[in-house]
Amino acid sequence: MSTVIEVRDLTKRYREVRALDGVSLSFEDGAIYGLLGQNGAGKTTLMSMLTAQNFPTSGEVRVFGEAPYENARVLSRMCFVRESQKYPNDATAAHAFGAARLFFANWDQELADRLIADFRLPMKQAIRKLSRGQLSAVGVIIGLASRAEITFFDEPYLGLDAVARQIFYDRLIEDYGNHPRTIVLSSHLIDEVANLIERVILIDRGRILMDEATDAIRDRCVNLIGDREVVERFIAGREVLHTETLGRVMSATVAVRLDAAERAELTRLGVEIAPVSLQQMIVRTAQHAALREGAQR
Amino acid sequence: MNRIVNVARMQWINRATFVTVPLLILGSALLISLLIYWIIPVDGPKYGGGAQAPLWYFLVIGIQSLTLTFPFSLAMSVTRREFFFGSMLAAVCVAFPLSVLFVVGGLIESATGGWWIDGWMFYLPWIWEQGPFGAWLLFFALPVLFFTVGFCLATIYKRFGSVTLTLTLVGLGALAVAVLAVIRQFDAWASVGAWLAGFSAVGLALGLLLASVLVSALSMALLARATP
Repeated sequence: MSTVIEVRDLTKRYREVRALDGVSLSFEDGAIYGLLGQNGAGKTTLMSMLTAQNFPTSGEVRVFGEAPYENARVLSRMCFVRESQKYPNDATAAHAFGAARLFFANWDQELADRLIADFRLPMKQAIRKLSRGQLSAVGVIIGLASRAEITFFDEPYLGLDAVARQIFYDRLIEDYGNHPRTIVLSSHLIDEVANLIERVILIDRGRILMDEATDAIRDRCVNLIGDREVVERFIAGREVLHTETLGRVMSATVAVRLDAAERAELTRLGVEIAPVSLQQMIVRTAQHAALREGAQR
Repeated sequence: MNRIVNVARMQWINRATFVTVPLLILGSALLISLLIYWIIPVDGPKYGGGAQAPLWYFLVIGIQSLTLTFPFSLAMSVTRREFFFGSMLAAVCVAFPLSVLFVVGGLIESATGGWWIDGWMFYLPWIWEQGPFGAWLLFFALPVLFFTVGFCLATIYKRFGSVTLTLTLVGLGALAVAVLAVIRQFDAWASVGAWLAGFSAVGLALGLLLASVLVSALSMALLARATP
């Protein structure tokens, strides 16, 4: 694996707001990244900077070792259709795909045709008359069929029904298997993409809270549910992301890697050990960070 | 270079915008002009400004090819420079056949004595004073200027928003009024009139092309920092 994108100390300020605040990270070749975070966290801003669609206030972006701004050599290897993408007036989906075919060297028309059928996308209607889901489908098809070396999907599921979303996830995995490349999937539906993404980048208010392999994150935390006193005694002094009590029962999300002895002991004490879903893990981490930040103020 | 040509193809991808609609406007302007010439009971030549109709449309496509196609071109991983030159290429490639059509229309008019009813739309004497080539140059320069002005106004809008665009337009209007006031102050209407009358069609065409170059240079500078 080699690094395809390198970001150093990237900041984007809009008047008072810091949309990105000192972001440093890198993306490797041949991996699917989940760019996760709430609405307004800075996901789209970050992707806009990486593709030179927008300009950083300070900091540096390198893609394939070069600055992407006005660099056709670099840009032609990337594809970023934004969530609120605008299309030429009166353009139909057929027009948009026709244009994409001109610009993306790896464009696969067969794949595009298959996806058009899968999503039942009307080809003769102006894009501005399509439903939100159909609009998302246009972006998804451009992203998949362009087969760019680095492809960004910006909340690609908006307005898509459950069946269409599954089609997207299935086709993405299938095509990625045949043509490995770097895929960055921005999302706030974390559990839906949990099985797809190999690495999580969690962004909150313009800052990176987490940048780790998905498996490592899952292993890092457990949910302990049991007698309140027992649980409290166990979690004392550990990093606790969240607790809930209901009468004498307490549920705690704790950052801990349990060894066999600890597991046996907890089970003997009647404490249930449950895995934490990626979504829970991430929501708790974000809340925890917000609390810590609040405490510092 | 190939990518610049592809930007032009992207601009044309909806043929209605760049081909069908201008032809429709030109055709109907001609038809309506002829009907009017036929109705009005005037002996002697009848001149009309119907030929300017497609020009205004070039202002519109100048605006549209920026506001909507620019954000799309970024999604197509096109650089801003490629987008600029490709869009200009697209405009020039449409202005050219249109100007040739105007010349052909003028030749038909002069051959048929104004469509047999002494009605003139393309063959306006001053424009044709230096022959068909001079007329062609002016017919070509006009839509190019209209396109670049529309494109530039849209770029200002994209970079700075509607308030700045409005202020720019108001400023241009104020500038025009100021020029008129100065001319009046110095009682210079006669010399200005003489200066304007001294222009030949070719001279005017070259002036318009120069203005187009300046306006588009401004667009390109503004576009360099434009975001979708």
